[in-house]
Amino acid sequence: MKAKRTIITFGDMRVGKDSDRSKRTPTVRKIKSAIVAVDRTKSPAGARPRVETGSSAVADLGAPTAPRPTLAEQAALDRIDLSIDLAPARGASEHGGLILANPILVASGTFGYGVEYGEVVDVQRLGAICCKGTTLRPRAGNAPPRVTETPGGMLNSIGLQNPGVDAVIEKYGPIWQTWKVPVIVNVAGESIEDYVEVARRLDGVPGVAGIELNISCPNVGKGGLQFAIDRDAARAVTAAVRRATELPLLVKLSPNVADVRPIAKAIEEAGADAITAINTLSGLAVSPDRTRAFLGNTYGGLSGPAIKPVALRIVYEVAQVVSIPIVAIGGVTSLDDVLDFLACGAVAVQVGTAIFADPELPVRLGDQLRAECLRRGFDSYRPFIGTALPKRTGASSAKGVEYRP
Amino acid sequence: MTMRLVAAELVDSRQILPGQWLQSFHAPELASGSRAGQFVHVRTGDYSGLVLRRPFSINTADPATGIITLHFRMVGRGTEWMTRVREGERLDMLGPLGRPFEVDPRSHHLLLIAGGLGMAGVRMLADEAIRDGRGITILFGALSASHVYPSSLLPDEVEYVVATDDGSLGHHGYVTELVPDYEAWADQAFACGPQPMLARLAQLAAGRRDRLGVAKLGRKRGGGKSDPLGSAAARRKSFLQVSMEQTMGCAVGACLGCTVIGVEGPLRVCREGPVFAAEEIAWPASA
Ligand SMILES: Cc1cc2nc3c(=O)[nH]c(=O)nc-3n(C[C@H](O)[C@H](O)[C@H](O)COP(=O)(O)O)c2cc1C
Ligand code: FES
Repeated sequence: MKAKRTIITFGDMRVGKDSDRSKRTPTVRKIKSAIVAVDRTKSPAGARPRVETGSSAVADLGAPTAPRPTLAEQAALDRIDLSIDLAPARGASEHGGLILANPILVASGTFGYGVEYGEVVDVQRLGAICCKGTTLRPRAGNAPPRVTETPGGMLNSIGLQNPGVDAVIEKYGPIWQTWKVPVIVNVAGESIEDYVEVARRLDGVPGVAGIELNISCPNVGKGGLQFAIDRDAARAVTAAVRRATELPLLVKLSPNVADVRPIAKAIEEAGADAITAINTLSGLAVSPDRTRAFLGNTYGGLSGPAIKPVALRIVYEVAQVVSIPIVAIGGVTSLDDVLDFLACGAVAVQVGTAIFADPELPVRLGDQLRAECLRRGFDSYRPFIGTALPKRTGASSAKGVEYRP
Repeated sequence: MTMRLVAAELVDSRQILPGQWLQSFHAPELASGSRAGQFVHVRTGDYSGLVLRRPFSINTADPATGIITLHFRMVGRGTEWMTRVREGERLDMLGPLGRPFEVDPRSHHLLLIAGGLGMAGVRMLADEAIRDGRGITILFGALSASHVYPSSLLPDEVEYVVATDDGSLGHHGYVTELVPDYEAWADQAFACGPQPMLARLAQLAAGRRDRLGVAKLGRKRGGGKSDPLGSAAARRKSFLQVSMEQTMGCAVGACLGCTVIGVEGPLRVCREGPVFAAEEIAWPASA
């Protein structure tokens, strides 16, 4: 039985449609007939080189899209070679290299284990998937809140929440095994032994195509100093994992260092097959009432377009000191970004934060790269690589961060 | 319905309360495929460096007209941008996302408790319950009369009870203070609003069995083997379900950015939630 009846009625409290109209500032905003992730017609790779405006989320289904390619154009597109081996040095071993159908990967931590986006993303058309950071034992991660938007980017402090390597293998291995897209397991640890043990357990697991070491983790053996900022620790962990597995081995650089080049060189010397760069930049946001830090973990990692210039600079520097492949990461949202990173010496790129706004972006970038090759008359994307690097050795830019503010 | 990317056309946009907007979108896939409690992740213009979508509860969904509505407060640049979208323009929405409210088929009386913008979280459940012939009471709390959700936007069948912090309309005090009057009448309760409100409701719900005696409850639910925490069956048997909020990245379960702390570990609001049984959440002790 109901106790109290306090039924309240109202006069017309709402602000009517017309009055609110008058409050609106008349805006002259050009709605670009856009991109947008809503064109569901799945045409073959690169079929429709479209203009990427990237500046509006307003979906315009009526926008004219480029006409479907003729049979001849399609045949030309199909002939373009987007494949890349990220572990050419492995090629000689029985396990072979790490060959991707195209150079657009999805970045660790932004695409889960490849299954979460379901039918929204056709994962088979990605170059590769880097899964969420995986540790030896399960981790519950950091206190919430864990993410917040920042100008042109976001901060995250997930804290490597994951179910542990055994659960990852058991749950996702059988799924990955059925995919033709390679899955690279991102590995984290707090000691060299941790990394080695995770790598051992991944070795030989069907469906695991490679390992990406996330070395932006505190090294308990060295008082919490991150592996990534300590050249000797970076070398040691890379060498130890190299001995533990035949899997293609990628090592991911942190940007939070004064000079990344000695670290990159040490990683190459220790036997890494490729370098991926960069992980997030250390940052902070303040709570709305300004009484504390916003994130439960205080500090977070900055990602998104805001970090692209930093990532470009690091790729540019590293490309001049190592000869193993470099996979660029940091703020990729468009074909122009992909081409910039290739020009600075990367052979492939990973897309991270941009997936959250535009889950279909990585697949579309592959198509756009193919179309760009055709437009330029190239039969592979290789001519795009390294074009912006200094032409002579000993150029001042080869010396690293040197600028006069 | 499985989630998908949908181009939702804005057909109506109005300010229903100071700073609060109600927008209607033509999105037939969402209107017929969503259940109360679910949400959409809306892409905003990135002209000003906004890199994340914004999550919104589906406020109402009408399969007959293909219209869904969203109710939001203009709190930042993303929502400000949305208020300036013009009729006829289409927004990119990912949805429907998350798990819905679970109503026990035997429940006749549903109590909905909303604080402020929390109305958007439970609003659609009122429509579903009326369609299914259940009795509905909404308890609504706001700062003052000028922030009270207009009754004209609620179905006639709903009993609407208001509390304001300053007493300018209805009960003078918190909406949670109205709950004891309804806890015997209600078979299930569903809430959305600020965290302290939800924590207080969880506390009230936990003591309810003792206050009312288990006889009635034993007959209606409970008994038998218990369903795993977090399962739809367990949620249906729980007196109180809450719709939680958290800042989000992906909204599909991929980034682990949106967690709240559950009694068995972190829970993703976008995937295990946004609706949870009150027992699943590790409420802060201070509540
Ligand atoms: C929510 C989130 C979680 C991440 N988790 C990981 C991780 O587990 N391991 C890792 O190596 N990098 C992780 N990263 C870093 C990304 O892989 C990537 O290096 C970084 O976000 C920069 O790329 P972007 O600007 O395209 O996002 C994460 C990034 C984000 C935004
Ligand atoms: S928002 Fe990414 S897991 Fe929930």
